[in-house]
Amino acid sequence: MSENWVFYYDFNRCIGCHSCAVSCKNYHNRDPGVSQREREMADWRNVNHYESDEGDAFEEIPISTSCMHCHDAPCVDVCPVDIIEIREEDGIVTHDRPDCISCKQCLDACPYDAPTFSEAEDNKMSKCNLCLGQGTGSAHGQDKRETPEDGGVKPSCVDNCVGEAIKAGPEEEMLELASDEAVERFENGAHNQRVIVEPMRTGSEDVESLVDRVGEGN
Amino acid sequence: MSDSTEDRSGLTRRRLLQVGGASAAVAIAGCGDIYSDDNPATETPTNETEPDEPDQPDEPATDQLAYGNCWICHHNCGQEVTVKDGATVDITGVDGHPRGSAGAGTEGTVCPKGQAQIEKVHDPERIKQPYIRENGELREATWDEAFSYAADRLEQFDDDHGSETFLNAASWTTTPVVNRFWKNLYGTPERISRGIHVCAGPTFMTGGMMGVGSNNRIPDYQNSEFIIAWGRNMLESFAGQFEAKGVLTAIEENDATLVTIDPQHTETAQKSDEWLQIRPRTDGALALAMANVIIEEGLYDESFVREETVGFEAYRNAVEDKTPEWAAEKTGIDAEKIREIAVGFAEAAPAAGISQWTGTAQYANSWKASQNITALNGLVGNIDRPGGLRLWQSAPTADPFEVCEFTPEGESEPIQGVDLPNNAEGKQKAIDKHDEYSEYPLRHIEGIAHNLVPDMVDNGHINGIYVHYDNPLKDGNAAAWREAIEEMDLVIATDAYWNGVSRNADVVFPDASQLEKDTLGTGSWSAYSDRTWVTGSTAAVEPQWNTRPDYEIIAGLAAAMGWGEYFPWEDNREIINDQLSEVDLTLSELESGGDNYELLAEYEYETWKSSDGPTFWFDLGHIPPFANAAEEAGMTTAPEWQPPGTYGDEPGGEYPLEFYDTRAVFFSHGGDQALKGSQERYARRHELEDEDYRGNYLVLHPDDAADRGIETGDMVDVVSETGSGELMAYVSGSTRRGFTTTVYGFGPGSVQPEEEGMNSMDVHSKQMDPITGMVARHIAVDVAPTGGELS
Repeated sequence: MSENWVFYYDFNRCIGCHSCAVSCKNYHNRDPGVSQREREMADWRNVNHYESDEGDAFEEIPISTSCMHCHDAPCVDVCPVDIIEIREEDGIVTHDRPDCISCKQCLDACPYDAPTFSEAEDNKMSKCNLCLGQGTGSAHGQDKRETPEDGGVKPSCVDNCVGEAIKAGPEEEMLELASDEAVERFENGAHNQRVIVEPMRTGSEDVESLVDRVGEGN
Repeated sequence: MSDSTEDRSGLTRRRLLQVGGASAAVAIAGCGDIYSDDNPATETPTNETEPDEPDQPDEPATDQLAYGNCWICHHNCGQEVTVKDGATVDITGVDGHPRGSAGAGTEGTVCPKGQAQIEKVHDPERIKQPYIRENGELREATWDEAFSYAADRLEQFDDDHGSETFLNAASWTTTPVVNRFWKNLYGTPERISRGIHVCAGPTFMTGGMMGVGSNNRIPDYQNSEFIIAWGRNMLESFAGQFEAKGVLTAIEENDATLVTIDPQHTETAQKSDEWLQIRPRTDGALALAMANVIIEEGLYDESFVREETVGFEAYRNAVEDKTPEWAAEKTGIDAEKIREIAVGFAEAAPAAGISQWTGTAQYANSWKASQNITALNGLVGNIDRPGGLRLWQSAPTADPFEVCEFTPEGESEPIQGVDLPNNAEGKQKAIDKHDEYSEYPLRHIEGIAHNLVPDMVDNGHINGIYVHYDNPLKDGNAAAWREAIEEMDLVIATDAYWNGVSRNADVVFPDASQLEKDTLGTGSWSAYSDRTWVTGSTAAVEPQWNTRPDYEIIAGLAAAMGWGEYFPWEDNREIINDQLSEVDLTLSELESGGDNYELLAEYEYETWKSSDGPTFWFDLGHIPPFANAAEEAGMTTAPEWQPPGTYGDEPGGEYPLEFYDTRAVFFSHGGDQALKGSQERYARRHELEDEDYRGNYLVLHPDDAADRGIETGDMVDVVSETGSGELMAYVSGSTRRGFTTTVYGFGPGSVQPEEEGMNSMDVHSKQMDPITGMVARHIAVDVAPTGGELS
């Protein structure tokens, strides 16, 4: 158990609506009115849809992911200029953005394809900061992340999740609201304990493997 | 304010925000100068040049909080909007909101469509000022010019054609005065609305005639143990987010079984215990077979049927030979599965509900499908019982024309009420007046049909139209409608976006978008199964550019027509306050206390117990207009099987595929396809965001695609006997072989600025349900790579 912040994801409540991704973009003022194509600014939170089979057996499973603020973040290890850190106080992975050299090694290393680079932002890396700050490059050096109960903001993706499928908070709080099965999986090392995922109620696809496939280019 | 009887914290959860003084984040400018606006049209947002605003350069820009009632699908989910320097910058939901949350103690959210409303406020694609047609071209005009021009043209139209040939096609307006203006003052009896004519006529009308109103759409999810999504996808295409939340809650808390009956896979199907991939347009057969099982197994509610219903014998006779084996042949669903679902539904009843809406109402044989499905509710006696078909109640509101208090010009004493004339009195609708429509059974039931309007224009029975936040070109015989719009002598459009109607109008009034207007919602179904409610909001920001809220547009037009005396309100907020006087509330009160809704009266279940007559009719012989229409259409008044093709198209021969149009979670109807953010999401959803294309996608089964050499990302032509369209293919096993769909509201005539994609109604001619005239949207087509040969 730790006070480090983690995401919790319940596939059974995700309706694939992308509200999380839209909300993130609005909150962080990533030009909601301008299309991705024009601004070349990738989303910090993504919803991927995995289709399989056909006929009665057809399945389509939405998986919403962002930077998971991994306790063992691979991006930290590969960054040649050493600007990415896992914050001791809350486990949120931030970076000292002005010093980014745009080598994109963090993107290659990330299991969730979370780091983004765009011309519109000087090609320097930006990604989810768990709403520790508002906007690109705003999180580095911020004080400890407070929970909404203590006056912190609720992460924007969580705030507008129609199905309440995404939650975020200190790991111990998230484990308390997870099902026994999800806790057991987490404690057995599912996803390297980077994210807490509920087992699927219906559907034959294995949500565990789908979450891990996000960074593999589908 | 949310609930005067409950202790609610009502704290804003995101951050400490200022709640604006008069509830609005930005003070709304007085309307006193509206009717003397002779300033040249400008593209500068008016709120940047407010002369009376005190200049406070030293004050840092502060986020302010405002509320909204989402209008994109007009189902009023609560919105909490962050406004900075007059701009809408962020948006989230209202906790505990009746439409936008799962109920008391739960969090409110805003779906992608609702979130896009903050983009719409500042969208440069919007219509920014009034336009009038001069020498054949639209030109920018001042408001005074536009009102005066419209008034002259309307007067001339009345002289030339008679006002009764002017069609009021106003849709989901945010003010209650629009229909009064056209009917009572201008004096036209012609009116076409959306719900019955192009959305789900058979669902509404069968429900109404069978005794349950249109409550057959939304069951009492929160208390349900068995939910059937019958041709519905309420996890994506919801009428308020409470629907999706209610279904998920029922699964989690009641261990409810969810069954989806749909030819195409949806998110609702994905989350279901059972997905029955039914053959399109055979829902009526499945419903009859379910009744057959329920009656055979003695699982129906005998006392309810005996004491509260009419026509059970006719129903029993109709289903007697409709065994699951019989239905299996029609529907493609295993007989055993049909038995299992029927028994599951009946055993869970009365805590078992069906949701039906558009999916089972948008084909030509849908009247009987709707009747057969709705009948199942009466059979298992779930009517107005927890978890079943809820007879939802709405909060009462006052008629603002009756309760308003004002001092007429030249008088010293205030008076109450506006003495509105009825200038439509004695005037007949074209369908009743002229013999040309006597072949249509629907004339016994309905006053007009969408697909008949072009004929009426051809015949000179309709000569002009007022279109308001709607686009008839996306619903029905689009090609004929396009010609009709050209042919009409006078077209007036009020809208936020350019589309095939506004571009061809004689007068264009630029409507403010939802967050720039005062709005009120009082609807029935919600996350609260036993409470009525109201939700309201003042404008979050001022109308952008040179736009105006729709009340001010109608009032301005009325003043120019010499009818200003009938509109004593300064703005829609005063009207809403008059409406709310019935429940002793004001808009300001609604917006105080950390939310923008109020729960009102509690109401009981089984309300039918307090009335003497029957509650439910299986057989509709008691309604003479329907009996007449049914006889002419060749159907009985009882539940009955009508195979696909009885009316409308039947795929085969040159046109072997069945085409249908659907909705995506990113768009509602045809109003927001202009928004780039929404287009982008839709493209990403299909992993086609790298293509230089932002139209709709044709979902094609892999085998149908392979037969035609089509791959995802290819441009294809969809061709019917009467029309065609071009769009991008998306090959997926989510649909049945032979069944192909796209999202409607794109292509020629749509609000998509480049008119990209296919107008799904370009393949439609005049297919309809004979009883309601509801546009039938299942069309026989073939598909080929663009420029290629049909198979």
